[in-house]
This record gives sequence, C-alpha cells and structure tokens, in this order.
Amino acid sequence: MIKVDKLFKQFGNNEVLTDISIEINKGEVVSIIGPSGSGKSTFLRCINLLEKPTSGTVSVADQVMTAPKTNVTKAREKIGMVFQHFHLFPHLTVLENLTYAPMKVRGLKKAEANEKGLQLLERVGLADKEKAYPSSLSGGQKQRVAIARALAMEPDLMLFDEPTSALDPEMVKEVLDVMKDLAHTGMTMLVVTHEMGFAREVADRVLFLDEGRLVETGEPNAFFTDPQTERAKDFLAKIL
Amino acid sequence: MNLDFSQIVPYIPFILEGIWVTLQFVLVSILLGFLLGTVLALFKISNIKLLKWPADFYTSIFRGTPLILQLAIIYLATPQLTGYDISPFLSAVLAFGLNSSAYVSEIIRAGISAVDRGQTEAAIALGIPYRPMMKDIILPQAMKNILPALMNEFITLTKESALVSTIGYVDLMRRAQITSSRLYSYFEPLMFVAIIYWLMVMVLTLLGGWVERRMKESD
Ligand SMILES: Nc1ncnc2c1ncn2[C@@H]1O[C@H](COP(=O)(O)OP(=O)(O)O)[C@@H](O)[C@H]1O
Ligand SMILES: [Mg+2]
Repeated sequence: MIKVDKLFKQFGNNEVLTDISIEINKGEVVSIIGPSGSGKSTFLRCINLLEKPTSGTVSVADQVMTAPKTNVTKAREKIGMVFQHFHLFPHLTVLENLTYAPMKVRGLKKAEANEKGLQLLERVGLADKEKAYPSSLSGGQKQRVAIARALAMEPDLMLFDEPTSALDPEMVKEVLDVMKDLAHTGMTMLVVTHEMGFAREVADRVLFLDEGRLVETGEPNAFFTDPQTERAKDFLAKIL
Repeated sequence: MNLDFSQIVPYIPFILEGIWVTLQFVLVSILLGFLLGTVLALFKISNIKLLKWPADFYTSIFRGTPLILQLAIIYLATPQLTGYDISPFLSAVLAFGLNSSAYVSEIIRAGISAVDRGQTEAAIALGIPYRPMMKDIILPQAMKNILPALMNEFITLTKESALVSTIGYVDLMRRAQITSSRLYSYFEPLMFVAIIYWLMVMVLTLLGGWVERRMKESD
C-alpha cells in the first residue's frame, strides 16, 4: 500500500528526515512513536505530500506521489488525514463538513452525500449532531467528526497525527474506540501516537523514529518489552 | 460674533447637490479600489514572485506617499506627460481608487492569512483543489476579519474625498468654500457640510455595525 524509498527531508539546512525506507501492506495498522521533534509529523506529511520530500520516493497504492507527472491533488482523495487539532470547517455544520468534499471533489449528488454522511456520523456515534456547528462540540466529538470527514472520501489509507494529544483525558477513549473499530474493518492506518495502549493492542507494527532516522521497527509486544536499540530503550524508559 | 444660519438658505440646494457629486465619485472609487484590491491581494498570497513583488511594490508606493500628492500628480502631470486633458472626476476616481486598492489589498491579504493554516491543510488533505478551497473554505472565514476593516476603509475614503476640492472638483467641500466666499462668512456653510459628512459617515458606521452583527450570528 505504501512504499517509501530513501526519503530525505530538509527545512533549509535542518535535516529532519534521513534516509527512511519502509513498506506498509494493505490493511496494516502501523504506530509511529518517537521523541518530540524526531520528525514523526513530517514523515506522515510526506506521505500525502503536505510536505515535499527533498529526495527519495513515496508511493501510495502504486501511485508514485513524488513523480512530477502525478496529479497529487487527485491522489490525496484516497489518503485521509486526521490532525491533532481537528481542523474542522467552523462555518459548516457537522454534516456539511462530511459532505462538502465528496460533493465537490467526487461529484456525489447531495442526497447521496447526505445519506453517506449520516451513516458515518452514526458509525462514530454522533448521529444527533448533524446540524450542530463544530464550535458547539467537545474535543472528542470534534475528532470523531474529523475522522468521519476523512472517511467520507472513502480513502484507501488513513493518516493520524497525534489524534488524541489535544484531548482532555476523559475523551481519549471515545476517539481510540472509533479508531479501533476502523482498524478492525481492515483499513490501512498510520498512526503517530503517544498512546502506548493503542499501539500494543491494535497496531501490527511499531516504527520508532529518533532524530529523523527510522531507528527500530518491530511487532508491538516485542518492541515494548524487549527493544533492540539503546535509543529505543532510553525512550521507553522515559515514557513508561 | 454674529452667526446667521439663515443666510445660507439660498445656497442649500447648491450645497445639497454636492452630496450626489461626492457620492458619485466615492462609490466609483470604492468599487475600483475593491476590485483592484482583490486582484492585488490574490497576487500577494500567490507563490509566484512575478505577481507578488509588483503587488507589494505598488502597495508600498500608494501607502507611502500623501494622497493629495497622488491626486495632484494624476490631475496636473497627466496633461503634461500625455497631452490628454484629464477631467477632475476621472483624476479623483483614479487617485482614490488606486490609493484605496492598496489599502484594500492589505485588508484582504491580512484577513486571509489570519485564517488558521490548518484549514488549508485539512482542505488540501481532502483533495480539494485550490479554487473551491479558497471560495468555499478560506474566504468565508476570512470575510469575518475583512468586512469590518473594509467598512473602516470606506469611511476613511468618504471623509478624505474632500481633498478633491483642491483640484477644482465641485464636491460638498468645494461648495461650502464657494458659499463661504459669496457670503464672506465661513462658519455657517462649513458647519453645514460638516453635519452632512458626519451623517454620511454615520450611515456607513451603522451599516458596518449591522454587517458585523450578521457575521457574529453566523458563528
Ligand atoms: N514547516 C517547518 N519549517 C521548518 N522546520 C520545521 C517545519 N516543520 C517541522 N520542522 C522541524 O522539523 C523537526 C521535526 O518536526 P516534526 O516532524 O513536527 O516532529 P514530531 O512530529 O516528531 O514532533 C523539528 O525540529 C521541527 O522544528
Ligand atoms: Mg508532531
């Protein structure tokens, strides 16, 4: 599903990602962890080209995202993204947030988009909020709407950048539950998270980034109980 | 002190006609300023240096020199340079329209860049192309910042419009001066047009307040 080959990213003289190569299969749930500033967000944003890699190639579903000929805007339709701070459209209702892109970009009829949108709201447990505006929702509700908004485009792949980091503790679970359900439907997911519970329970693989390098990858239980590298050991000692 | 407001009565129709004369060029200037300002703002937020740089330079020139000087250059220097005998009306519309567009472009640019960067990223990530993103996602949010500032710009323009009296355009201000010179009396005609300007500005202010309330409601 995803193939990253010799990815480098620099901001000016600051090298943020160094020589990252990784393949991720369809249906795989991958958790990305690492210290703050290690390049996790940048790595995720290089997948849908919100950041342009300095060199290397990124392919998603056999589309070479980094090739000059690729219509990146079109390719992004199939890559959902969920942000730490939700970024819902505040001037649109919850349902309009879900239906705008499918209507505008995929050309769905309004009735069709609404029906689909309501189904998705039901799935994330917010069917009663269709007419509400984002500002009236709690953080956990906003993030569930944001997930539904991304799913409304019927993506092949979902990227999550610390989806629960901006939430009050009591709202973390409702968002993680939605993500777990999604994982069980076979969605390919790349999740930057500090929720080790989620990583252990749901992820098929953990990627550990440090100072822009992919230092260690492994099966979650093995990684958390018996990390192979010093850097991973140090990191886990600090957070667990 | 011998104030006598009754002496301006015969001149009232003459002065009141000035309202329309003033409004005429103010409205055309606002329209020109708004259209040109929007285009300049789009240049400024584009990533294309060849559009961005001239737009920034233009703004810097028109904001960095006195309006009365710009007016004089357009009215007095155009015939000298081109031989075209430019009318006071056209000079006024050009000077105020071009000048206002510089301010309007800054208002729009600032309004757009005040919209959270995350909105753009969310739209891009959904695969929404640039134009619908600007039109449906970014601009509606920017309007909340832009409209109140635009109303202020229109108010300023209306007041500053009195400058055109210096190039012989017979606007409200000029009519007050003419009346003064006929009557050998200054206070009454000047006071009379002061009230008229104030009323025009009040109408714009009330309109602005109404627009702002409408925007708040839609939050
Ligand atoms: N747009 C940017 N411009 C310049 N530097 C950036 C930009 N985005 C991120 N960085 C830098 O890249 C490094 C990695 O950032 P990031 O990918 O956000 O790390 P993480 O998500 O792991 O905390 C940091 O040093 C950060 O300052
Ligand atoms: Mg980050």
